Amino acid sequence: MNPRARSNAASNARSFRFISYSLVFLMITCFTLAIGALIQNAMPDWPASIMTGVMLLLVIDRLLTYQRFKSLPVFSPEWFVAVGTQWIVFVIFIRLLLSYAKGLSAFVEDLSLFAHGYLENFFSPEFIVTLWLAGFAWSLPAQFLELLDEIGADQAQALRETPPGVPGNAIPVHQRLVNLVFSMGIVLVILAALALVDLRATLINPAAPTLTPDRFTSVQAGVLLYFILGLALLSQSRLMSLQTRWNIQRIPIASDNLSKKWGSYSLFFLFLIVVIVSLLPTGDSLGLFSLLAALIDLLLGVLFFLWQLIIILAAFLISLPLLLLGLDPPSTMQSPLPPPVLPPASDNPPLFMLDGAIWDFIRSALLWGALILIVGFSVRNFIRQHGDLPAVLRKVPVLNWLILAWEWLRRNVDRTRVGLVRAVADGWQGIVSRLERRGAQPGTGWISLRSLDPRRKIYFFYHAMLRQSARAGLTRKSSQTPSEYAELLEKGLPTAGEDIDAITGAFVEARYSGHEVHSKQANDVKTVWGRIRRALQERSGRARAGKK
Amino acid sequence: MFGRFFTLLVMLLLIAAFMRGDFALTLIYLVVGALAVGLWWGSRALVQVQTKRRFNSHAFLGEKVRIHLTVQNKGWLPLLWLELRETLPVALVGPNSFQTVTNLSPRAEAQFEYFVDARKRGYYPIGPLSLSTGDILGLRDSLQARAGAEALVVYPRIIPFTSMDIPSLSPQGALRHRLPLFEDPTRVFGKRGYVSGDSLRRIDWKSSASAGRLQVKLFEPSIALETFVVLNLNATDYYYRTRIDSTELAIVIAASISNWIVEKKQMVGLLVNGHDPLATDSGLQPLPPRKGQRHLMRLLETLARAETTDNSALVPMLQQQRYRLAWGTTLIVITGEVRDDLLDELYQARRAGQNSVLILAGRGVPDDEVRRRAAFFGIPVVAVATERDLNIWTKRVKHP
Repeated sequence: MNPRARSNAASNARSFRFISYSLVFLMITCFTLAIGALIQNAMPDWPASIMTGVMLLLVIDRLLTYQRFKSLPVFSPEWFVAVGTQWIVFVIFIRLLLSYAKGLSAFVEDLSLFAHGYLENFFSPEFIVTLWLAGFAWSLPAQFLELLDEIGADQAQALRETPPGVPGNAIPVHQRLVNLVFSMGIVLVILAALALVDLRATLINPAAPTLTPDRFTSVQAGVLLYFILGLALLSQSRLMSLQTRWNIQRIPIASDNLSKKWGSYSLFFLFLIVVIVSLLPTGDSLGLFSLLAALIDLLLGVLFFLWQLIIILAAFLISLPLLLLGLDPPSTMQSPLPPPVLPPASDNPPLFMLDGAIWDFIRSALLWGALILIVGFSVRNFIRQHGDLPAVLRKVPVLNWLILAWEWLRRNVDRTRVGLVRAVADGWQGIVSRLERRGAQPGTGWISLRSLDPRRKIYFFYHAMLRQSARAGLTRKSSQTPSEYAELLEKGLPTAGEDIDAITGAFVEARYSGHEVHSKQANDVKTVWGRIRRALQERSGRARAGKK
Repeated sequence: MFGRFFTLLVMLLLIAAFMRGDFALTLIYLVVGALAVGLWWGSRALVQVQTKRRFNSHAFLGEKVRIHLTVQNKGWLPLLWLELRETLPVALVGPNSFQTVTNLSPRAEAQFEYFVDARKRGYYPIGPLSLSTGDILGLRDSLQARAGAEALVVYPRIIPFTSMDIPSLSPQGALRHRLPLFEDPTRVFGKRGYVSGDSLRRIDWKSSASAGRLQVKLFEPSIALETFVVLNLNATDYYYRTRIDSTELAIVIAASISNWIVEKKQMVGLLVNGHDPLATDSGLQPLPPRKGQRHLMRLLETLARAETTDNSALVPMLQQQRYRLAWGTTLIVITGEVRDDLLDELYQARRAGQNSVLILAGRGVPDDEVRRRAAFFGIPVVAVATERDLNIWTKRVKHP
């Protein structure tokens, strides 16, 4: 390996580890804060702040001890001893902390109960939940750190070659990190949404979930911060994964300030995103989300109706044998709960645009536009990433019919368009030719294609190709043979290589051989010329666009 | 990745629908914005990159060729990283191809320099240059672009001959000759007393007057050497075990002879029945006999590009070219194997007033048999098994 590159990678690895570990800690902190908010929302009696604090302590402990634990073989006696002792301390610490959170008297009372052997009091619900959360908080950083080490925080591990025969992970490590960040983001968004709902009120009256806007700000900030930190982590890990790859492939880095520039551009990138996000409208003045909610409501209503129908049919089928036996049918199933009623739209966003509210209209138009762009962009990228999606969709008969119908429609539209264009062009040519004939040069008229024999038709199409190509900047020199010119043309029109060969071959045969030329050959050449003409037009269009 | 992104988007839309708040929408903007800007940046920046390569496109064997590579970012978007990989011929650089990584600020350029060793004769492509970059978040695979290749010609080895015994029938040229048959009246090298039988045209009247007795001029014999080198690169005409070395030796012989003849200010032409990597369908173009350094460079370039070929018979090509050559031209045929049809063709050339010399290049040729058959037609044969055998033409000889 290039020694300079290796030393760069080693020094970068230290700073990368420090920055990435800090980012991971902050991201998990955002996560635990959202969990704490949710617990406080659902169980106000539980010590949510203590539980959050415990989780954070475990995260810090895991970040600090990860390297030491990593060196131990998993499930080895040493590993069991190390993990076991650590967890015993955690369990006792958590339990004592939870007891102490209720007050000193409760703490003393708990201690006396444990001393007298009342161990069932040990496993209180909040303790079990805290323990579960502690386990989660202890394992979550490891998932990040493992990936970061593989990316390059641990250079020895990152540069280690996979022995032959050992199957590696098919998904690149950076991609796995992206997946992890987004997966956690999804969970975090759900947690944040739940934290916004007044769960107690919702449990009493599930039909009307109540929003608690007072908790919204802190949770929202946490989620936003999580995503910003996540993007920073992805940018950082991207650099490290690249550096690791360059080290493995022994590619020297010519630039001394690559890491510094990367850092500054990353900050600029995040700043730009934050500015864009803060400038975009977020109001719902046209009731877009109300509309979406109404649609979902409708969908739920349909599903609920279907469910009712199934239940009634099932009840009827069950009651039939009982009626035959003269027994009373079982009491009809309780009328199912009505579909959940969505909360009424807030006062601010009216369902329809108010008269004269131009500003609202502009905001809404921007919002609609932004959302359509977002959805379009997402769908496009999704289809690009899933190249085999059309093939999968074609396996579904209904979708296959739809796709075939769409293709048929598109083909016909294209054909009609081409036909129209040709008809207009022919018409125009006819007018021009008539004018020419009436003009000063009565002898030079347009060639009537129909009057030509197949051999001359081929000449005509080949010369038409020469003329059009010259207009597109691919002029034939007088010294060039048809084959030489075909080579030149193929370089200019790489997509039409076969067609150029075909038309050149046909021309050479028609021009230099005594073979009989059939009208089918002339028609084939006409088709080929049509394709070449389209390719030339596309090339000219691109050239014009390039100039603009 | 996009699967998860999609799930997140759907989740956020649902939350936005139920909660009616700015929170979900802000998140949608953040995530989609980061993705869109990141992807757009990477793809847009690569389009603005331009590369330029500068180097001496012709080199002699053993030279080191310095290649300057300039990479320029013409756009206003910075390139976070740009990986450059130059595809270079293994014959010139071995396994160490040029590759590096750099970053480019807006409107900035980077200069690189590397060397290739002209170790082996040939026509080599330098490039194409592969450029790759990507987005800042690593959300998709690297974007690739390619810059075109340029050619480097490495001339064949030239062994400086000092003397060659090439027969010529063209009198009164620039080369001294031993046979008085080719005496050149423009090259007076002395005088002697008149003896009976001397031509009256030889009498130097001025010196006769001053000496008081008849003096005749002595002329140095000379020839004009118009040569046509015919190089056979038909692979089957060389012994299969030493085919590569033998054909290379044949090319070295052709280059050295051409060089020697041009140094003597004589005309030399070339016919090679090999493959030309520049021509897709036709072979190497024959070069008619000319003088001068520029012509020599053309010959050497042709020889640099020449590659062996299969099923390209020499005799029909020679037959076609021979009629365009002047009377008295010497044909130097360099080949690995001599067949009867070649000897027959050379005999026809001899009858038409053209000289022929056969040079057998490489090992594996039973040259005694060839010599015997060639002697029958009056064609001299020189066998060159290795480059060392060319020493016969590198030794200084004293002319009488």
